[in-house]
Amino acid sequence: MSAVPAKIRAFVKQLVQLSLVDGCVSAEQVAGILEYLEKNPPANPLASLQAYHKAIAVEIAKGEARVEHAGPVTAEALAAIASALSKRYARPVSPLATANPTLLAGLRVRIGDDVYESSVAGQLAALSAAS
Amino acid sequence: MFSLFLAATTPAHEAVTAHEGAASGGLVHDLVEKFGIDATNVGMQLLSFTILAYVLYRFAIKPTLATMDERNHQIEAGLKNAEATATKLAEAQQQAAAQLKTAQLEANKIIDEARKAAKELSERETAAATERANALVTKAQQAIELEHKKMLADAQKEIARLVVATTERVLAKRLSDADRAAYNETATRELTAV
Repeated sequence: MSAVPAKIRAFVKQLVQLSLVDGCVSAEQVAGILEYLEKNPPANPLASLQAYHKAIAVEIAKGEARVEHAGPVTAEALAAIASALSKRYARPVSPLATANPTLLAGLRVRIGDDVYESSVAGQLAALSAAS
Repeated sequence: MFSLFLAATTPAHEAVTAHEGAASGGLVHDLVEKFGIDATNVGMQLLSFTILAYVLYRFAIKPTLATMDERNHQIEAGLKNAEATATKLAEAQQQAAAQLKTAQLEANKIIDEARKAAKELSERETAAATERANALVTKAQQAIELEHKKMLADAQKEIARLVVATTERVLAKRLSDADRAAYNETATRELTAV
């Protein structure tokens, strides 16, 4: 984003604000914005669209908790995690479960740039690093 | 010599006197005639003997005595010089002995100082060498200790790595789905409590 000109960054920021509904990316809003941009292309349409795409991906990642797990995880557990993270980040968070046998047992949650982990592999790695 | 000549002439003179007396008495006259003594001859002999004695005394005995006196003076002077030389030699020997003694004392003093300096230098060198050796030993001990600690740390890390790897393999084989589900529930509680 640092290579993107300041004008485009400000323009994309406005587009992202228009794309959010209750702090979440709205598909309808995004579709409307894209239709508007198609009819009224900006000064540098390609760079603007690439920057808007990256910004929307970041916003989607902020509202999505990727839960890696080893062994079975109940839907209630995923819902509880999503609820806790929604409270913590003050926005709706939806869980996305992914199996990861290298954890041996336990969970690893990624939301945006943050990582929360409670797994056997993590504890063994901490034990190995501490020794 | 002259006294002997007088002693020899004395009896002849007495004989002449006795002859003159015998002339009056006859006995002396008889004796002079019997022995054939001639007064003139005797007088000439006395004169020639006197001349001979004078010549001998003047040209032989006197120079000889003078030479002997001179030799005696020379011998006495030589003896005096010898004594003076002996005295000087004794003084020189004493002075040489004193100088030798002084030189020996100075030499002994120099030798003592040299020995003392050499001993001090040796002690300093020994102390410095000991200090260097101790420093080397200390450094070597520190290096050995560090190496020992590093080796222990490496061994500890390797053992921990092996334990973790073994544990991972064992847990991967031994953990059942029920165990994993139970652990996941606990993990969920931990993550929701954050």
